[in-house]
Amino acid sequence: MSEPNKASIHLKKRRIAISMGILFLLGLIFFVLDIFLGSVHIPAGDILRILTGEAAIKVEWKVIILDFRIPRTLTAVLVGAALSVSGLQMQTIFRNPLAGPYVLGISSGASLGVAILVMGFTSLGFTAVLDNAGNWAMVIAATLGSGLILMLILSVSVRIRDIMTILILGILFGSIATALVAVLQYFSTESMLKSFIVWTMGSLGNVSSGQLRILSFTVLLGILISLASVKILNAMLLGEDYARTLGLDPKTVRMIIFISTSMLAGTVTAFCGPVGFIGIVVPHIARLVFKTADHSVLLPGSLLIGAVFMLISDIFSKLPGYDQVLPINSVTALMGIPVIIWIIIRRKKITSLS
Amino acid sequence: MSTENDILVLKDLEIGFRKGRKIIASLLSGMNVSAGRGELVALIGKNGIGKSTLLKTIVRLHEQLMGKIIFSGRDMQDYTASEFSSLVGFVSTEVIRVGNLSVRDLVSLGRFPYTNWLGKLTPDDHALVDHAMEMVNISELADNNVSEISDGERQRAMIARTIAQDTDILVLDEPTAFLDLPNRFEVLHLLRYLSEEKGKLVIFSTHDLEMVLNEADKIWMMTKDELIEGAPEDLVLNGSFKHLFPGSKAIFNKESGSFSYPREGKKEIILTGSGTAFEWTKKALKRKAYIPVRKGSSIKIHVNNTIDSTEWVISTNNKELKVYSILELIKVCKEI
Repeated sequence: MSEPNKASIHLKKRRIAISMGILFLLGLIFFVLDIFLGSVHIPAGDILRILTGEAAIKVEWKVIILDFRIPRTLTAVLVGAALSVSGLQMQTIFRNPLAGPYVLGISSGASLGVAILVMGFTSLGFTAVLDNAGNWAMVIAATLGSGLILMLILSVSVRIRDIMTILILGILFGSIATALVAVLQYFSTESMLKSFIVWTMGSLGNVSSGQLRILSFTVLLGILISLASVKILNAMLLGEDYARTLGLDPKTVRMIIFISTSMLAGTVTAFCGPVGFIGIVVPHIARLVFKTADHSVLLPGSLLIGAVFMLISDIFSKLPGYDQVLPINSVTALMGIPVIIWIIIRRKKITSLS
Repeated sequence: MSTENDILVLKDLEIGFRKGRKIIASLLSGMNVSAGRGELVALIGKNGIGKSTLLKTIVRLHEQLMGKIIFSGRDMQDYTASEFSSLVGFVSTEVIRVGNLSVRDLVSLGRFPYTNWLGKLTPDDHALVDHAMEMVNISELADNNVSEISDGERQRAMIARTIAQDTDILVLDEPTAFLDLPNRFEVLHLLRYLSEEKGKLVIFSTHDLEMVLNEADKIWMMTKDELIEGAPEDLVLNGSFKHLFPGSKAIFNKESGSFSYPREGKKEIILTGSGTAFEWTKKALKRKAYIPVRKGSSIKIHVNNTIDSTEWVISTNNKELKVYSILELIKVCKEI
């Protein structure tokens, strides 16, 4: 009996390794494509020359590649990975296939944090704060905002066992945040309003190299925490009671996952706006591809698929060859929703946690 | 009542619910029972009496109101979470439906307390998981998803998970609920094996009284006043079972060890004959509220076993009739 067992485990491991390899390759291909494609056509040879540090034919090409396209592409990778990983975590913790940073109102919380900063503080005359410590202030505001919403949901979820109730409460908390944002919008000037609205549409292009450093740091830290929580996420699959009989404290688990999710979803939302659907869709694609519930596979899998998904979305949003750029949020929704519909129709239900 | 050998002792235990510091419902207090290695303990009691709460209290999922729970001489609260997880395994009534979770992965979760921070299984862990699956006879389904196997198979997989957890004590909340008869027997047989052969203390709650009377070493019977402890036979003999369903019309029959509704006898019938068919005829007549007697009735039924079949001869004062099944027999009796 143990020999065929070993064989089937081995086969499964090999299939997973191959899938991971293919995803990684896809990631590389789209990473390169995302750098090569854009509104301004730059010949491939020139791009290679710029990348290898040779003198460029046109100075503005060098600026476009080094200061715009590369940071933007890196941002896409980070955003896709971060949102997918946090979505997977949320689906496991809440044992709900429709959970995700966006649905549970964490992004609304981040919006509130940013709205208070952008429209609240500046209207009180604290523009200097925003100029000097803009990056960190945004990160902190967004993290606090998303953390607040997650904290509310978790504190309620300790008392209520029914997952649908928690989900509805999540939507309600998100709506409160949205309402508060609306109040702030009502009292802000046109220019502040516009900059906030543009922020809500999402953008991968507004991240400067300096900001990219902050984004990478927080996202990598958040992902490290999630990777370290692979074991406890697996234990949470059976629910909190079983997790406890395995020696886990569900409150500690919630805290850890809460910290990493608010770091991932919060900062991404701060820099790029509330990018939707990735967090819900990608974990399901990962389950479809890897056919496992094991987080040591699903987590890196979601990370890679998320990055690929985001790179493709970004290429679409840049409308290569045209002058216009689409808001990234619309592209992810337009790409993500058909995937959800396809999964539902094909499998009759979302294969996941319930 | 408790001896040195007992690895679980409940001392003046009170269970119930509290809200903050206030006790809002006390289910039962003054519980004093114990159990040792190798014992199969059945917890019985009517719905809502607090069986699940008691079991959850024992596995530390629920806080007791008063009293102590002592494992191997140490208060339950003195164990760290990880120590406790290698001492007590638990199977709840919750039906686990996780997409893409294979039986093997489910059973592997039992190794959680022993694996490293990444949860990586060593070759020894793999061997233990395989062994646990073999023990519950589920190895062929190792790569199937838990959401795609039958209720009985899933219950066995959940038990395999606790076997992999390698605990001295196993607590199961209604492990045979929702299962058909063969699966119920299989699960109970498995629990019997784990206690008898592996020396574990197995505690499970159930409503299946007949099975308990045949298989359990010890019964903990929960009534609204007390938790009664004893061998199944003791509880039969001292008449404890009549307290099991207070207010219900069902009566416990000491001879057969089963509950039944009392029926008013209508008519006496003389029943003669022998063998299995005779016993079942008696049972059928009782069900239809006839009183089988030896003499003193005008109706007489004789169960006649021939070589290859059974016939029933019904005779009254003026006629005689032969039928070939109990169904026909009952029909004829009705007409008389």
